[in-house]
Amino acid sequence: MRTRIFIILSAILLLVTIAMEMLLIPSLASAQNKDLIQYSPVFYWHIPVAWVALFAFLCVFIASIAYLWKRTPFWDIVATTSAELGVVFTTFFLLTGSIWAKFAWGTWWAWDARLTSSLVLWIIYIAYFLLRTYISNPEQRARFAAVFGILGFVDVPIVILTLFVSNQMHPGDAAFHLDKPQMIITLVTGVVAFTLLYLGLLFFGIHLREDAYEVSKLKETDGG
Amino acid sequence: MKFWNSVAAIAWKDILSELRTKEIISSVLVFAVLVLVIFNFAFNLAPDLILQIAPGILWVAFAFSGVLSLNRAFIPEKEENCLEGLMGCPVGREAIYVGKALGSLFFMVLVEAVILPVFALLFNIAVLQSGLITVTLLATIGFVAVGTIFSALAVNTRAREMVLPILFLPVVSPVIIAAVKASAISLNGQSWSDMTIWLAIILAFDIIYLTVPFLVFPYVIEE
Amino acid sequence: MDNAGYIVTAFGVVWIGLFIYLFVLVQREKALRKEIAALKEDMKKA
Repeated sequence: MRTRIFIILSAILLLVTIAMEMLLIPSLASAQNKDLIQYSPVFYWHIPVAWVALFAFLCVFIASIAYLWKRTPFWDIVATTSAELGVVFTTFFLLTGSIWAKFAWGTWWAWDARLTSSLVLWIIYIAYFLLRTYISNPEQRARFAAVFGILGFVDVPIVILTLFVSNQMHPGDAAFHLDKPQMIITLVTGVVAFTLLYLGLLFFGIHLREDAYEVSKLKETDGG
Repeated sequence: MKFWNSVAAIAWKDILSELRTKEIISSVLVFAVLVLVIFNFAFNLAPDLILQIAPGILWVAFAFSGVLSLNRAFIPEKEENCLEGLMGCPVGREAIYVGKALGSLFFMVLVEAVILPVFALLFNIAVLQSGLITVTLLATIGFVAVGTIFSALAVNTRAREMVLPILFLPVVSPVIIAAVKASAISLNGQSWSDMTIWLAIILAFDIIYLTVPFLVFPYVIEE
Repeated sequence: MDNAGYIVTAFGVVWIGLFIYLFVLVQREKALRKEIAALKEDMKKA
């Protein structure tokens, strides 16, 4: 029930964000600044999606540590669900970024520090799921995935740090230097919307996996 | 002290068994040379352009042959059930990690010591520069540090050694990228000061890639 | 593509992607419910 509220709320907020982006932002653009990324509506979705993806991987990191400490299936379930969401959101920010890059710079991709580290991040968490499929023993699967969840998180600070490296094709820390209040409000709404979406999907996913776990336990004891 | 004695014993065990059979070294060396040769066919460049892609070729050769040699770190243990025997000894789990990593480091440095002159010959580039050697050594430490724990992980999965590159190369890619950049600076004859930022990055990763696996390795090989 | 085209595509990709993901989750839930119902049947018989 709670998850449905989160998801519906976030959907509403997402629509609100789109409205704000389309109504408020283009009017701010003038001849001098129309090429600056913060005057583009896509900015106000791309950034929140990216931050939520990184937050999801932070949750994987924390849940992995918690699993190795407590050894309850719950933490493994949280880690897996959060990793899945992280991959989904990373796919979104890679795609929206690529579409925007084609429009703004005429190329779908560039091998600068930000894009490369983001692509590597995506591959790392896909590898997280590949690793899980290659292990049959559930306890070992959870344990190894937790180890990988901790090691793989190293790329996340790198992705964040590349924001502050200069001379990259991808714009840097523009998000931290917004000067117009309409921009700040739109961005914050976007972040809230996507965070709610993440939480809703996270609870939904955890709930599903917990039930699946119960079912598998029942099938074991029942003899199938 | 006991820790370092165990580490030395484990590393020496690996080195000794390899020196007797020479299985890994021979196949890894041949593979590394093959990589260099294949790149020559793949690109067929004019001599002045070679310098631009030479660092990349070198590090692809090191990375792929490194994956091969890292695989051998734990496969024999798994096959002969030596790992259980090792864990039965009064050595800390962390000592197993450091010992294995040191053994792999030794082999990789050996391979690199042979490949660098071969590379110099095949591509007509001077490689005996302090800058390049420093970069290679530092980056190899990070490579081997994180590769050892992934090797232990991979060997316990159904796909075994096939899964090591998938798990390991994305995570170690920052080290390789920094190594290629620093090697390019060195081979182009630029000064050390240009290289310091990349060396600092490699060093930072070495520290992270030694610390985190050290803490987490016991969880990989527990019963 | 002009400006509007790119924006629509970018938003569209995320919306469609989210709907697909939600659909996948709901399918998983349905499969789970079926399994639970089947298990309950088995337990009634036993």
